[in-house]
Amino acid sequence: MSTTTTAPAGTRPAISPLKQLLRLTRTEFTLFVRYKTAWMFLGLPVFLAVVTLQMPNDEVLPGFGMADMTMVASIGTITLILGMGHPSNVFTARRESLVLKRLRVSGVPQAVIFGAVTAIVILFSLALAALVAALVFAASGALPRDPLMLLVAVLLSGVMYSLMGLLVTPLVRNAEAAQMAVMVPMMILLFAGGGVIPLEFLPEAARQAMTLVPSTSVSTLVQAAYTGHDVFTGFAGAEERSYPGLWAAALPSLGAVLAWTAVMGLLVRRYFRWDPRQP
Amino acid sequence: MTTTASTPAPTGRRDTAEPAVVVRDLRQHYGDFEAVRGVSFDIRPGELFALLGTNGAGKTTTIETLEGFRRPSSGTVRVFGLDPYGQPAGVRERTNAVLQGSGLLDDLTVDETVDLAHGLATDPRDTAEVLDLVGLSDKGPVAVRQLSGGQKRRLDLALALLTRPEVLYLDEPTTGMDPEARHETWRIITELKEQGVAILLTTHYLEEAERLADRLAIMHRGEVRVEGTLTGVLAGWGDRIGFQLPEDVPTGDLPDLPGAELSVQTRDHALWATYTATGEDVAERAHHAVAALIAWAAEHGTTLRHLQVRGASLEDVFLRVADGASDLLSD
Repeated sequence: MSTTTTAPAGTRPAISPLKQLLRLTRTEFTLFVRYKTAWMFLGLPVFLAVVTLQMPNDEVLPGFGMADMTMVASIGTITLILGMGHPSNVFTARRESLVLKRLRVSGVPQAVIFGAVTAIVILFSLALAALVAALVFAASGALPRDPLMLLVAVLLSGVMYSLMGLLVTPLVRNAEAAQMAVMVPMMILLFAGGGVIPLEFLPEAARQAMTLVPSTSVSTLVQAAYTGHDVFTGFAGAEERSYPGLWAAALPSLGAVLAWTAVMGLLVRRYFRWDPRQP
Repeated sequence: MTTTASTPAPTGRRDTAEPAVVVRDLRQHYGDFEAVRGVSFDIRPGELFALLGTNGAGKTTTIETLEGFRRPSSGTVRVFGLDPYGQPAGVRERTNAVLQGSGLLDDLTVDETVDLAHGLATDPRDTAEVLDLVGLSDKGPVAVRQLSGGQKRRLDLALALLTRPEVLYLDEPTTGMDPEARHETWRIITELKEQGVAILLTTHYLEEAERLADRLAIMHRGEVRVEGTLTGVLAGWGDRIGFQLPEDVPTGDLPDLPGAELSVQTRDHALWATYTATGEDVAERAHHAVAALIAWAAEHGTTLRHLQVRGASLEDVFLRVADGASDLLSD
């Protein structure tokens, strides 16, 4: 057996990760459309948005009733349901069927594999957000005041919730178990986000504590973006702000989402498993 | 399947090139359990190294370490001189694998699967070429979930070939294939060797290792027990000269043969003698032992019934390494 040195590292030009990301995202789109479970994840946020039409709609901000605000907040639940539901489902199934390993041994970086699914979550979330915005417009006659902040909220929360979905996968052995397991954090975050029950109904102390919950930050960002009002400390006394003023007021919520994303990213890096074999 | 030649590439370079894969004193612990205990080997371009072994011998753990999924507990693993853990650039675009299981997306068609792999690869082969090579040209529109086990294995191989790997890990690549597809796969693997690909093969088909391996190792309980070229490994285990013991010859009267060891077994209500010739003169040792045996038989007026002379088979070696264990089925 030789103990000589090895061949030098290759100079073979590698395909760009961005090109790989776009190619894999295209296939993820095809697969998403073919998955029945994915259609359920698409239908659920729309259902929740429509349900808010049945709520009392006493005005809480100029031009917006409580039901309107809850429907606006439900835009934040789109990424929650899609982000936690879809990645946890497909990554568990693909780990067990060795698809993840197959992709990696074929030279696809981890970030591309995660990125393509996250891109699909964001893509379909944006489509649903546009649909819910149309519902809000139909109900209140108002269009989003700061579409950029709305877009940022959907993008950031899509990444954050997708990472949360990935964190479910090490806990389960098959896709069915993943769908069950993800329901627990999903429901907690759903009820905490104000897209089902308005947070205004909660006692002040509970509402303050809720601001640390990621879904609360997202729904508040969405409400601020849609109404142009500084709703970060509640609807009572919320004033309309200029664009820079609204972004300044949004910084703590944006920071909270980014902090949660960073924590989730570190946890995924530490605990995500690519291999069905338990060590 | 056709015999269309794939893209021309350098001829096998196993005699001269530096190793593409180097494993030195690899150890892998899972808690208190040591799955791999000090394994070392090299694989050069154009060489196929077969890793054989019993259940839980540590073969798959070794491959997974080379594939970059596990960090060694101790020892070093290098692919093209780089640590493969995490599949860094410089490794990932130059290697590929056929995994122990398929790893295919059931909801895609064969064409969609190959197109995806093509779009993700750095310098891929033509998709029609690889499908033709593995005999799946007529399966393009078929959903992967509708393929048979053997067809999925062939698609796995197609995906691995598509990226033109310089190092290829084959973890039981022909499991589930029919004999024709298996032979065709062996032909493809031989062509890859000739093109200079360094290949690591694990298999439970010993014939596969005998046909394809330039060198092989047999692992048992995390250790390499036997390693070398096929000829070298078999030579070390001797030639067998067997016959049915004549009824009028007591065991104690059997002769001592030069460089051979005698064992006697009862089989089918009869005694059978086996001499194992293990002398260093591999080419002539069986001849010398047989000549002495025939001379002894002539001298004693005895006929050696059912006389057979054969070299050791890989199965002999494997079974001896496994201590005759019953755990020889697939992991």
